[in-house]
Parts: sequence; C-alpha cells; structure tokens
Amino acid sequence: MVNDSSTGEEKILTVAKIENGTVIDRIPPGKSLRVFEVLGIDSNYPYVVALAMRVPSVKMKVKDVVKIKGKALTSKEIQTLTFIAPHSTVNIIKNFKVINKTELTIPNKVEEIINCINPNCVTNAHEPVVSSFDIISKEPLVLRCVYCDRLLKGDTLQNQL
Amino acid sequence: MKGDLIQHLFTTRKLSKQDIENLFDLTKKIENNPDYYSEFCKGRILGNLFFEPSTRTRLSFESAMLRLGGKILGFTSSRDSSATKGESIADTIRMVNHYADIAVVRHYMEGVGEIAKQFATIPIISGGTGTQEHPTQALLDLYSLKKEFDKIDGLNIGFLGDLKYGRTIPSLLYSLIKYDNVKINLISPKTLRIRSNVENRLNDAKSDYLVTENLHEVLETLDALYVTRIQKERFLDPIDYERLKNSYKITPDTLQDVKDHFIILHPLPRVDEIHYDVDKLKYSRYFEQAKNGVWVRMALILKLLGVE
Repeated sequence: MVNDSSTGEEKILTVAKIENGTVIDRIPPGKSLRVFEVLGIDSNYPYVVALAMRVPSVKMKVKDVVKIKGKALTSKEIQTLTFIAPHSTVNIIKNFKVINKTELTIPNKVEEIINCINPNCVTNAHEPVVSSFDIISKEPLVLRCVYCDRLLKGDTLQNQL
Repeated sequence: MKGDLIQHLFTTRKLSKQDIENLFDLTKKIENNPDYYSEFCKGRILGNLFFEPSTRTRLSFESAMLRLGGKILGFTSSRDSSATKGESIADTIRMVNHYADIAVVRHYMEGVGEIAKQFATIPIISGGTGTQEHPTQALLDLYSLKKEFDKIDGLNIGFLGDLKYGRTIPSLLYSLIKYDNVKINLISPKTLRIRSNVENRLNDAKSDYLVTENLHEVLETLDALYVTRIQKERFLDPIDYERLKNSYKITPDTLQDVKDHFIILHPLPRVDEIHYDVDKLKYSRYFEQAKNGVWVRMALILKLLGVE
C-alpha cells in the first residue's frame, strides 16, 4: 500500500487512495500505533489498513497517517482519539473522495470514555448513568466530574484511554 | 423554588444570592409566625430516603414537614431499604416519585444530584451526599449568620478543622462567595485542607480567601468561626493528629482576644473540639444554629413545592 518514490532531491511518500473508509491524517508522530489500539486494529483485522509513520508534513514537519478501508469511526472512538491524537483530521472517504473532514479538537465535555477516579462517585456504582466530565482547562488538561465534582488531570485521562 | 430556582437542591453553587435572600425572607416570616404556615402542606408527603444515619438533618426535615401540616414516610438507613438487595439510587428515586410529593436523600455516594435530575419527577433535596455537599446545612448556617449580623456582605469568616472531608464546608463556601467582600479564612492542618475542586471554584469566583494552619494568625480579625470536628482516622500519621488536635480545640482561653461581636458556629455533632465551658460564653451560637434548621427547611419545602 505504501510506495516511496523520489522526485529530484525531495523524497515524497505516497499512500494509495482508498475507495471507501476513513483516513486519519496529521496524527502526531509516533501516535499511530495508539490510534490502532483505540480502534481495535491488530494483526487479525480483516480489512485493508495503511499506516505511515513520520512522513514529511508542511504544517507539522513530520506526521503519522492511517487509512482504513470500509471503516466509519464511532463517536466514542472519535472522542478517545481526540485525546490520543489531538488536532488530527478524520476524513471520511466515499468513492475515493473526501466527503467529510473533521479536526479533532479537545471538546468542552467528554462522556463515557473514562471513569471517575472517585470510588464514591455514583458513576462507579450500579446506576443507569454514564460518566460525564466538563473540561475546565485544555492546557494543561483538567476535567471535572459532572456528578461528584472531582477534578481529573490529563495524565489520569491518558492512563485510562 | 419553581420558576425562580431549580426543582432540586443538591448544591448551593446553583443558587444565586437573590435565591438565597428570597429563601431567607420566607424563613424569617415562618420563624416569626409558624402557626400561619401550619397547614400549607396539608395532604402533602415528604419522603425521607436516608441511606446513611442522621439525627439533626432527618429530624429537622421531619419537624419542618409536620409543622407545615404534611406527612412523612421513609427509611433511616440503607439496611431498612432495598439498597441492601442491590437496588440502585435511580430506581429508589423512580419509586418515591409515586409515593411522595417531595423527598430528602442522604447518601454516602457522591453525584446523587445528577441522578435525581435524570430520574426524579418530584423535587429532591440533598440531606448530605458523601463528602461532596450538604446544602441545607449551609443554608441554615448562612441564615444564622444573617440573623446575627443582619447581613452577610463584608463578613470575615473562619473555617476551622477538617475542611477536606466535611461536606458542609463546600456548600457554605459556595454560598458565601455569592456575597460581596466576604473574607474567608481556611484554618486546618495541611492534610485536611479543602479539596482541589473546591479551591478551584473559589479561585474561579475570585473570592478572597486565606489558607493557614494557625488559628491565632486570624482569630482576632474574625466575625465568626465555623468549627468542624477533626476525625483522628483521617490522619495518615497519628503523630500529626497528636501534634495538631489541641491547636484546634476551642476553650474559653482561646477566645480571650476575639472581637466583641464574634460568634462560634458548628454544624454538630461536636466531640471535643469546643470545650463545654464555651457553651456558656456569649460567643456560642451552635444550638440556636441547629434550631434555625427547622425554619430554613420549612421555607425550602414550601419553595420547592411552590405552595408559598
């Protein structure tokens, strides 16, 4: 899937287009393997997948790119990727064309993807609710549990993803 | 407080200064003439869902509803409810929706307010949730301050003791920061400082607060001191407890240089953090404070039921 070719002195990396699926572009260099983990892509994944690590990028100098044939991301996967690979772009491909492009920016609220660290929070009990956090600071990342008001730091979130 | 407030009360953060003042106006009317309100809740039922033991909060809610002419049902510990069978709080609330017109929930878990918001069709009041908040205690504390000083704006208040695990502390702080020029002094051992989420909210509100371990650094400047119990089991190192316990004990000697109008409040129960000899001094207000709980809770029930 990945061809490496040269034009003049500059090396250009070309990754074959996919007909239908998702392309995650501008992934921070080295993070694409974590992206695979989040999306549950391993050696048994039955569809075509392309991964390019540390390819040249005008904006980022280097970046990772992932292409997955026939895959549409769930909202939970997108939420999780936002924290694994912030500012990546998710491109939905149909008939070789990008029909939707979204930049993953840290939202103001996050639900379900992580648990509250407070063992006494009702979201950790047998209740018909899902965890929910307000993001009160994006840099550094700080979350506040909507239920029990407990604060979570960014590294706590990263450890749970 | 339909219309001007919210249907439930689980945090004082959601109350405006005007909400609190409106509540206190009604509280004062009730206190001055309780007989007038003696049938306002006739035919109404208060459900008391106490998953955790309580003396003052439960009894004062019961007293409040009975004084309003209403009736009471409920349980006084998890053992008496289907919680022991694994029933969720959400299901308990869905059930009580049909059995009562208003309910009080005390629970050892935190975040019950959000569950109430999602599953309750009747007004639900927190009777204290975990270490999170105890809003009705804070309202009666605030009412006690208002009665004493005729205002809250400009007061210099000290908080002493276990500021980390005491659930009345966040609720009272969140109420006080709605007022103007209130100075807050947080006096505790380092291990029992207010939690970061509470301090974060004080910072967000740009409130004027001081953190210290030394009571005498601020005592002479205070209008009121809010004393809480220090629990030995909260200390990681027992030596720390032994070192600090006496420095947070109030005796008549402690109070030699306080302002003339200074008062001491305590949410109770007290153990030994205020010596019995202090009870006789002009500064003690903790028993009057407990009495105010009934009037404030009567007003709150009326507001939430919309039967003013």
